[in-house]
Formats: sequence, structure tokens, C-alpha cells
Amino acid sequence: MARAVRNRAETNWAYWSFITPAFVLYLFVFGFPIILSFVLSVSNYGGGKMFGGDPWSLVGLGEYFKLANDSNFWLALKNNIYIVLISVLGQIPLAFVLAYIIFRKIVRWGEGWQAILYVPAIISVIVLGIMWKMIFASNGLLADIINAMDTQTFLTSLNGLLANGLNVTDDFVTKLLAISDPRALTGFTNPLADIKDLILSNGYTTQNLEVFRSDMVNLLAPKWTPDFLSKQDIAMIPILFVTLWVWTGMYIIMFHANMQKIDTAIIEAARIDGASELQVLSHVIVPNLSGVLANAAILCIAGSLNTFALIWAMTAGGPMNITQVLAIYMFQNAFIGVPNFPLANAISVFIVLFSFILIGLTLLVERRYGGRE
Amino acid sequence: MNSWKTAVAWVGKGMAYAVMGLFSLMTIYPVIWLIYNSFKTNAEFMVDKISLPKEWILSNYVGAWTLGTFDMLIGNSVIFTLVSAVGIIFISVLAGFGFAKMPNKATAPIYGSFVMGILLSITSLMVPLFIQVSQLDRMISDGFHALGMFTGHDVHVFYNTSFGVILIYVGSGLPMAVYLCTEYIKSIPTSLVEAARIDGATYFSIFWRIILPMSTPIATTIVVLNVPGLWNEFALINIMVSDETLKTLPLGILRFNGQRSVDYGKQFAALVIGMAPMLVFYFLFRKQITAGVSGGAVKG
Repeated sequence: MARAVRNRAETNWAYWSFITPAFVLYLFVFGFPIILSFVLSVSNYGGGKMFGGDPWSLVGLGEYFKLANDSNFWLALKNNIYIVLISVLGQIPLAFVLAYIIFRKIVRWGEGWQAILYVPAIISVIVLGIMWKMIFASNGLLADIINAMDTQTFLTSLNGLLANGLNVTDDFVTKLLAISDPRALTGFTNPLADIKDLILSNGYTTQNLEVFRSDMVNLLAPKWTPDFLSKQDIAMIPILFVTLWVWTGMYIIMFHANMQKIDTAIIEAARIDGASELQVLSHVIVPNLSGVLANAAILCIAGSLNTFALIWAMTAGGPMNITQVLAIYMFQNAFIGVPNFPLANAISVFIVLFSFILIGLTLLVERRYGGRE
Repeated sequence: MNSWKTAVAWVGKGMAYAVMGLFSLMTIYPVIWLIYNSFKTNAEFMVDKISLPKEWILSNYVGAWTLGTFDMLIGNSVIFTLVSAVGIIFISVLAGFGFAKMPNKATAPIYGSFVMGILLSITSLMVPLFIQVSQLDRMISDGFHALGMFTGHDVHVFYNTSFGVILIYVGSGLPMAVYLCTEYIKSIPTSLVEAARIDGATYFSIFWRIILPMSTPIATTIVVLNVPGLWNEFALINIMVSDETLKTLPLGILRFNGQRSVDYGKQFAALVIGMAPMLVFYFLFRKQITAGVSGGAVKG
């Protein structure tokens, strides 16, 4: 009896000494900061010494009302919701279809495709953000690729016009103008006459067509300069694209692994009964994986509401806040310029509460419409 | 009829290959583009961003390496990543053993809070965490000063120290790791623990001799899932250290964003240096990483 009591005491002692390191660290990194963020969000704490410095006190929910009237906050929230939507409604369906193609062995080398599509998820988003910034820049790779293709199209049409050598007639110039970039012509008062004069005065002949071609490409070929960051509605497009680009591979792996757990006899039976691959996908695979889909949606929501580093590297929320998101707005309020810790903490509380609300909704939807597992 | 069906199947297959090929190309081409452009001269890059380098040069790497102090950055990244990963494993196997094999009323609420914590992102808590850490340092400083110690300067225990960074990194990895370890250790037969107890083994020796060795598979999963995240971590290290000697690779890479943007060659080389270690890691541990991600154990 005494031995049993001693054993229980020892078990109890061992239990607490084993879980304490984890629990203390957990409280240090998650528990206390959550409480602190709420306390500071309803305070007027100015950033000095918390105990024994300038006095501060709890003043109520004023910061939350300030947020409600803060157009930057709403813009950040709107952009963040775009990111949540592209994640939940973009990444997940896309990954699901690609995983299904691999799973049904519609294509060979399934593992190879999967391995390639996962590569972005392993690389620092700082590296990827800077890389994509250079690709989407006004003189970046995307502009160069599109302009190279446009130039090629222009040259092909131009060569068609030059099939019988260079004859500078009104008809020729009209056709030339038709394949030109309208923006290139805005500088001319009378494009037809002006371009014709220009061609004639430069003395191009059928012998030096190469020079003529390259001059026409420079002068008239369509040129595209991306300026995503010039307007509010389109500024998020590169960021949304990159979000999709980075994480889709991860969900492919997740979905594919879980598809492999489904009894293939069900799928084969459905196929023999005449169901198409699409019908199998929607009537067998999706209901079977509704739990996994809900999990993926939860991970998506939790991750995309906290997106920070990628946008920090790409735009840092600018220019003029048009690519602002909640985490960056919070960071700026706390660490850039005059700190506003109560407001920053109110945003922190908002992010935590909002993600739990969205996750709760996801679980409700899954419970209501999800299939059996 | 049959041949028509075959034709449809072939078109479907062709489309599937096209879709896979397109997405894979879009995924990998930018990364490859980045790599081969790091071997171009600035002059060549400005004229032609699309083609392969006419002449492959290495000077961008030499320049970027000295300019970026990469030996120090990589050294810090290695230390923070490895120590944190080992810390996460050790602490979460310990806790998992407690939760899984020692019945206690406290398990339900405490373990439950860890599972809830999986959904919390440390990014949303970076402001209060920073305030907590800097206020703790102030209190410790004041305490020492009151005792007449270190009076000349502030004492830093958590902010701007390796210790503080590792503490926060370990803490942020714990919810998922504790969950994985607890569920895994539950599957180890309780009779093994009981038999060892009857033989008079202490819980710590059971942990050391039975639980920890048997947890190698889950420990591997935890390492491969946490190493990329720790290595690439940016939001916290960005606010928790200010000393140049404590900065990690992502912070160093960010210095190549913008201000040196005219020097494309060095910028590209720096980005390649930034991603190379994790590409090698992925190449070596792809199977384990894939297995870990399958469980849905990574946050997007």
C-alpha cells in the first residue's frame, strides 16, 4: 500500500517535471503575450518602463473604435481577406485537382511533379518575395517575356507586308499602322502621312530591310510596361499570385497522401458503372476527404491571416498602403515612427479573434456538409 | 463507340500532361531563372534578362559573399536552427511522455491548450511578445542595478541575445511538436513502461532508455518539418535582435532588396546563396519532408 502511494507520488512528480519545461515555454511565447496584447489594447501604455516608469492605466475599448474608423485598417483587412480567399478558394481546389491527376495516374512520374511543385515552399519567402518583385517590376522579366512575344508577332505581320519587298504606298502604311501599338502613334498629328514621310526620308530600301525592321520594332511594336503598384485594385495581383505559387505544392502532397488511403475498390466500381473521372472526383473523393479539406482550409486561414514576410519583401505594404495587410499594419504601428502600442495590440487581438472565428465557421461548414470519414 | 472513348481518354491525358507541365514549369522556371542570371554580368542582364549567360562568371558570388557577410549569417542560422530543433524535440518528447503515459487530471486542459496553440501564429503575437521580452530585460536590469551589479549598462537576457531567440523559436515550435509526440507516444505499449517501473526504473531512465529511442521516427518528422521554418524565419528575428553579429540569413538577404538593386549580379547571387542551403536540405530529405507534410503538419 505504501509502495502504491509512493509510486503515485513519484508519477505525479515525474508528470509535472516532464511537462513543465514545455508548458512554461508555451506560456512564455503564446500564453502571456495573448493576455498582454489584450491588456495593452485597452490601455494607454506609451512604451516606457511598464512597472515604475510613466504611469499608465486601462482606458477601455477606444483603440478598437479607432480601428473601426481607420481606413488603412479596412484596406489591410480587405487585402488580407483577398489572401484568405485566394488561399482557400485558389490553392485548395487547384491542389486538389492536381493531386487527383497524380493519384489516378492520369499522368506518369507523379512523384516527380509533386517534388517540383513543392520546391517554393522550402525556400525563404524573403528570397522569393525579392525574386518576384524583380519579375513583376516595370522593367522585369514578365515585361521582357511579353514584349519579346509581342515583338515576334509584330515582326511576323511586318514580314507578311514585306513579302514583295518595300513599297512605301499609302496602302502599305495603313496596313503597317494597323499592326502597330496605338500608343506609339499618339505622338503623331497625322500618323499616315507622318510615318510615310519618315520611312521615305530615311531612305530604306529593299536591300537594307534588316535596318527597317529593327527601326519599326523600336518605333511601332507594342510595348507593355507592368505597373501593378499604380492602382489599388490591381496592386494585390502579384502578391495573390505569389501566395498561390508558393503554397499550392504543399496541399498537393497533403491531398495526395490522403487520397491514397481511400479504398480503390470503390473508385474502380464507380468507373466500371460508367462514372467519369470528374464524377469520381466529386462524388467519391471529395466526400471522403472532407475532413482533410477542412484541415487544409484551417491551415490556410491561420497562415494567410498572418502573412507578413512575403509582402514585407515584395512591397512592405506600399506604395501608399495599397498592399497593406493586418500583420504589416500592426508591425508599422509598433515599430516604425512614433510607436502606438495600444493600437498595434488591438490589431494583434483582432487577428487572433478573426482567425478563430473563420476557423470556427470552417468547422461548422464541415460538420454540416462534410461527408463521412 | 469504343474508339471514340479511347480518343476522349487520350485528349484527357494530353490535357492532364499539359496542365501538369505548365504548372511545373511556372513553379520551377523562376527559380532556375534566378540561378542562371546570378552568373551574368550586370551589363548583360540589363540587355537580356531571358537568355542563358553568354559567359558564366563567378565574380557576383565573390562580391556578394564579402558584401553580405554571409559566413556570419549562415553561422548564426545554423546555430539557431540546430539548437532550436534539438530543444523542440527534447522538450516535446518529454512532455509527450507525461501526457501520454502518466494519467493526470491536468492533462485535459494543458494538452488541450497545446492543441489549440497549433492554430495560433506567432506572427500575430510579435508585438506583445516583443514588449514582454524587453520589459523582462528592464526588470532584470533594474534588479541587478538595485543590487549594485552591472550598474554601467543595461543587462539583456532575452532581447538581442541568442538565448532569447532560441527560447522563442523553441516555444513557437512546441504546440505542433507536443501534439505529434503525445499522439505518437500513446502508440508505444504502456506495458513497456509498466514493466520497467516494476523493475524499479525511474521515469527519467525510462524516458532516456525507452521513450526517447523509440521516438526517433517522430523526432525525424519534427526535425524535417521545423528546420525549413526555423531557417527561413523572418518576422521574429527581425524584431528580437538588433546586433549585426546575431542576424540570420533572411535578414541578410533583405539587405539586398532595393538599395543595391542596381547591382543585379550581386543581388541575384545573394538570393541564390539564400535559397541554396534549403534546396540541398530538400534534396537530401525529400522523402521525410513529404511524409511529414502529408500529415498536414505545416502551416501555410
